[in-house]
Amino acid sequence: MNMVAPRSSLRIRLLAGTLVWITASIIVAGWGLRSLFQQHVEAQFHAELKTHLDQLTAQLTLDSRGHASLALPLSDPRLSRPYSGCYWQIDQTHDGMPPETGVLRSRSLWDHVLATPPDTPADGEIHQHRIIGPEGKMLGMVERSVRIDDTPDGKSRSFRLIAAADESLMTEPVSRFSGALWLALGVLGGGLVIAALVQVFIGLAPLRKLHTALGKVQSGEMQHLDGDFPAEIMPLVDQFNAVLVQNAEVVERARTQAGNLAHALKTPLSVLSNAALAPDARDSALSRLVIDQVGTARRQLDYHLARAQAAATALIPGTRTPLSPIIDGLVRTMRHIHADRQLALTVMPVSPSLAFRGEPQDLQEMLGNLLDNACKWAAHQVEISARCEGGNLRILIDDDGTGLAAEQREAVIQRGVRADEQVPGSGLGLAIVDDLARLYGGRVELADSPLGGLRAVLILPVAQ
Amino acid sequence: MRILIVEDEPTLQAQLAKGLSAAGYAVDTAANGIDAHYLGDAESYDAVILDLGLPQMDGITVLRKWRAAGRTMPVLILTARDGWHEKVAGIDAGADDYLTKPFHMEELLARLRALIRRAGGHASAEMTCGPLTLDTCNGRATVDGQALTLTSHEYKVLAYLMHHRDEVISRSDLVGHIYAQDFDRDSNTIEVFIARLRKKLPPGLIETVRGLGYRLSAPP
Repeated sequence: MNMVAPRSSLRIRLLAGTLVWITASIIVAGWGLRSLFQQHVEAQFHAELKTHLDQLTAQLTLDSRGHASLALPLSDPRLSRPYSGCYWQIDQTHDGMPPETGVLRSRSLWDHVLATPPDTPADGEIHQHRIIGPEGKMLGMVERSVRIDDTPDGKSRSFRLIAAADESLMTEPVSRFSGALWLALGVLGGGLVIAALVQVFIGLAPLRKLHTALGKVQSGEMQHLDGDFPAEIMPLVDQFNAVLVQNAEVVERARTQAGNLAHALKTPLSVLSNAALAPDARDSALSRLVIDQVGTARRQLDYHLARAQAAATALIPGTRTPLSPIIDGLVRTMRHIHADRQLALTVMPVSPSLAFRGEPQDLQEMLGNLLDNACKWAAHQVEISARCEGGNLRILIDDDGTGLAAEQREAVIQRGVRADEQVPGSGLGLAIVDDLARLYGGRVELADSPLGGLRAVLILPVAQ
Repeated sequence: MRILIVEDEPTLQAQLAKGLSAAGYAVDTAANGIDAHYLGDAESYDAVILDLGLPQMDGITVLRKWRAAGRTMPVLILTARDGWHEKVAGIDAGADDYLTKPFHMEELLARLRALIRRAGGHASAEMTCGPLTLDTCNGRATVDGQALTLTSHEYKVLAYLMHHRDEVISRSDLVGHIYAQDFDRDSNTIEVFIARLRKKLPPGLIETVRGLGYRLSAPP
């Protein structure tokens, strides 16, 4: 679940990065394309105006009275439709005097006269301007000066030729193009975002798989990370598996060492206590002291070794212990060890799929101690049953012995307290079982058994 | 009753041998796995006390080899290893009981008696044969409630015959189970013990099967 937390999410990092790039590229592309198109349309607009101007220049003649006139009307039909947006006008200029504007005008101008800027282009020059035309619209305009020397009356005349067109002829296609362009780019961007999402989803799939596999290892379903992972993740998986193996080895070593220590200490203790109990030494003060101290040493040793072994477990992930074989093995052992008691040991059917999330040795230690206790105290009957309840294993061990008073139950679970000094090891056994169970997040509960004696309930995490 | 003690710690081995001898058992000892395996395989013991951590060959391997070879004598594992997984492994390898160190000699003796008794198919500590009753817990024999006075060797012979009642037991069998291996064995002494027992027991209880040995059985 940590993988999708907003702050450190790889997915959000990748998506955010991709989104920024997609947005930036689309904006740059859109802006670039739009300005290219605009330049093109503007160039065409002015080229058309120049064509009109050229035609005007070619058709300009003087009639017999020296007035300007056109030899032929200009070909573009828009020039004859009123307020069509395409206009021309010819002004007559006089040196040192204000020009006579609108001596000839296109039909499209109707009764409007274009206000001309106060400049005079030199011969051959073309000037561009923006002016206000009919109906207050902005026009783009080109002008050129033409001087006609070959006149009927011999006086040369100057004219200013103007071709103009509504700027909307230029802006409209650009805005239409922009609309279509942004729509197309929007669709493209949407597609890219979806592609990025899919890519991130596919690209991060191995991480999700790893996450699932880790979960299975933790719940004890798998012993190690399994499956094919991409080359970038595989080293991580291999190292993790190596750590798991190493962990298990360390635990095994610690257990072996604890066992060796037990062996090394207990044999000399046996020698001491046997010597103290020999017929010639028995009942002397020294022998009583030795027996007493050996007993204390033994209890301390048992307690701390059990603790050491349990601590070594360190809850290795990936361990799973099926319940049934462990119970069967222990019951076989109990039948031998308590053979003289002629007990009826009954195992209620245990589902073969029930498993403990932990080490087999720890389960044996806990169950073994509880069963051993039950066998010591039972009159005739011991019964074992197990089930899964509320996500936990509940293993019930019932006996038909004398049971324990409620106020004693709490005490026997405390370390080293023994319910009856006559039955060796019982108190210690329960304390160790409870300690071990608690390391696994479980516990031991004592209750009245329907058989009449004590019921011990061992609650442990269940493995899927 | 002849017992093999397998224990590599010399002081403990000596204590065990002393304790068992005092309880009336014939005792052989071995201090390593190889010797133990050889003795258990070659000789006939009524029970074996086996340590697990042994030099040369560990106890579990020794036990497995005996069982694989069809040796069925009762085996009590006596070890410092007290994990339940070790106990289960020991029992599954063929052990009949498991006792952990440090232990009380009384408990070991009680368990050994029970083991030998069960191996003979006797469920309780008291065995009877006609008017004769033998309590293996306190080593007392009675005939119709009257206590018998037996020497240690007489008791050993009687106890062995009781454990194998209605079976024909050869003289060499008796010798083997009454004396330790390094003892000077003379099967003629057996005849002496049998003769003394017959005087103390009701007639007809111990019968001689000519050429084969002796049989203890209730008179018809």
